[in-house]
Amino acid sequence: MEKKRTAAPTGRLARWIAAAAIGLMALVVGAPSAVAQGSESVEGQTYVIGTDTTFAPFEFRQNGELTGIDMDLLRAIAEDQGFEVEIRSLGFNAALAALSSNQVDGVIAGMSITDERKEIYDFSEPYFESGVQMAVAAGNDEITGYEDLEGKTVVAKTGAEGESYAKSIAEEYGFEVKSLDQSATMYESVKAGSAVAVFDDYPVLAYGIAQGNGLKTVTDKVPGGSYGFAVNKGENTALLAAFNDGLAELKANGEYQQILDSYLADPTAAAPSNFFDLLVKSIPALMTGLWHTLLVTAISFAIAMALGLVFGFMKISGNIVLRGIATTFVNIFRGTPLLLWAFMFYFGLPQLTGWEISVWTAGVLTLSLNAGAYVAEIVRGGIQSVDPGQLEASRSLGLGYGKSMQKVVIPQAFKMMTPSLINQLIISLKDSSLLLAIGFTELLYQGQQIYAANFRVTETLLIVGIIYFIAIMALTKLANYADRRFNK
Amino acid sequence: MSTVTEQSSNVKIQVKDLHKSFGSNNVLKGIDMDVREGEVVCVIGPSGSGKSTLLRCLNKLEDITSGKVVVDGFDVTDPKVDINEVRRHVGMVFQHFNLFPHMSVAENIMLAPVELKKMSKAEGRERALELLERVGLREKANARPASLSGGQKQRVAIARALAMAPGIMLFDEATSALDPEMVGEVLQVIKELADTGMTMVLVTHEMGFAREVADRVVFMADGVVCEQGAPEQLFGNPQQARTQDFLSKVL
Repeated sequence: MEKKRTAAPTGRLARWIAAAAIGLMALVVGAPSAVAQGSESVEGQTYVIGTDTTFAPFEFRQNGELTGIDMDLLRAIAEDQGFEVEIRSLGFNAALAALSSNQVDGVIAGMSITDERKEIYDFSEPYFESGVQMAVAAGNDEITGYEDLEGKTVVAKTGAEGESYAKSIAEEYGFEVKSLDQSATMYESVKAGSAVAVFDDYPVLAYGIAQGNGLKTVTDKVPGGSYGFAVNKGENTALLAAFNDGLAELKANGEYQQILDSYLADPTAAAPSNFFDLLVKSIPALMTGLWHTLLVTAISFAIAMALGLVFGFMKISGNIVLRGIATTFVNIFRGTPLLLWAFMFYFGLPQLTGWEISVWTAGVLTLSLNAGAYVAEIVRGGIQSVDPGQLEASRSLGLGYGKSMQKVVIPQAFKMMTPSLINQLIISLKDSSLLLAIGFTELLYQGQQIYAANFRVTETLLIVGIIYFIAIMALTKLANYADRRFNK
Repeated sequence: MSTVTEQSSNVKIQVKDLHKSFGSNNVLKGIDMDVREGEVVCVIGPSGSGKSTLLRCLNKLEDITSGKVVVDGFDVTDPKVDINEVRRHVGMVFQHFNLFPHMSVAENIMLAPVELKKMSKAEGRERALELLERVGLREKANARPASLSGGQKQRVAIARALAMAPGIMLFDEATSALDPEMVGEVLQVIKELADTGMTMVLVTHEMGFAREVADRVVFMADGVVCEQGAPEQLFGNPQQARTQDFLSKVL
């Protein structure tokens, strides 16, 4: 498997680590050095490590816990070398983007070491020798080798080794390569018949087949790349050195082989046997996801209401400047995709400003600004739908504009706005699922994590769908009850 | 009373060369009019003659293009005038009532006195009940406006306009939106109010009522005061051709 892009340093901590590492190296080569604290550079430090969400058996969630070869290896190395790791499960591309924007110190994500990547990152010693293999649906007896692929479509993972290998032989055997993002979705599309075969890294395929993903391998593995742990080029050298030392230590004492065997030798142990089992196993993680979905929606919608009120009033203001500002705000956030802002806030803003932006901050910013634009329009529409005679009557009594708005116009406008606001709240709740793209641990993200590990895509999505449905129905009932209660 | 202007003490409303345009449309083309204390003035005239606009200029619901309007000693055209203060001295009743539908009848009436800190809630409610008594609707205090008939709504609107104890009342076609059988009850309330000596300006299409209640009738046409005088004179012996023409159509 492979994919990837850029890199840079992580603010004060990274600079300190870099300085410490240089000091350490100076000590190693025996040069006289004033940097005495060099030897402490890794010990006791906490490093933030980015990883993929869904690359079983290297990283996946089991009962809500992040596990897999990469995770076990990284934790064992950290323990051996005396540093702490904080793992962020972001998705492959997102992890690399986070590395580039210094949101993480390193990435371990079943990433192949390639020449291209070596220009941007420094890699550890290889910790796993991989290779590509082809698999077809278990019931398919027609495809037994590459020569049977003539005129057919196969799938491979975007940017991965499987993709480049499939493309390299596509012309020779006359088949087409379609690229998808995740192993689980690739396997589903082979089972569903939209592709006849999948090219994927052999340990991933082997693990998936053992989990009962309904495929079988039909070709020998093509020896391929080695996986490595990456840091930004020239940064975090102490961390990289510690990783290599720890890896060598684990290989020497046999722990390395133990970890590999526990996933590749007998991986079937954890597979849920039936739907009920799947439900029971996945509920804790899904409830965490639901909680995060509800929380991010609630916070964002509260902010969106405040923004919407301010900009909604600005839109009906007599002041052309205020009106212009509000119209620009609404047009920008209604006129651009939500997902674009999620990426912009999480990956773009830290690089532009140097601020560290948490996934929660980015998520709330994205949802609240988007919903705020719609709420502004709802507020404007609501106020304008109140008969102008109401404001005149209030003003003619000697009440000021603000008082008249507060006591007479807004209560009536709010009543008219309520159905639209409830609608927008529900849209925001559903839109929050898009935040999975930046690794926000909401409900659908948790679902993805689960099916990425067990390959039960359809059933998992069904469960997630039912949870969304129940949550939204409950919310709708609650909102309608409140509406009847307060807007008699 | 910071902006008291020189005027004889018994003149409550003074209008001098009032012009009002909406864009290029000149609606009022130089109005001069005085209303004395306790006087009841009815403004009549064909649609589009500017009657309602004139009335709305008196409490600055419309911005005044040029000229001078002095109401109860306040120069309304002075940009520094506190228009909210002026409006507390001038009650207004609208054609379409404009009651606040989300409040009870009593709350409609209490709103201004209580919000403007003239009264506590309890005092405001007591005052509302007194006013409702006056318009014969005390039993409707807790009703919502939507449950009232048109005539009842307009009587509540009159009570609401009286809540701040204004010295002047303006009526903008107060009976035009009513079913014919409800006109009488509203006119009765207005007449009783006139009998108390309230200074009033009414824009109306009720010629019989104007004749009965008005001290003076002003006939407007094309944005100017065409003719004015005591009702018996204006209705009985109109001098201008426009007045004669209009009256021949409505009487």
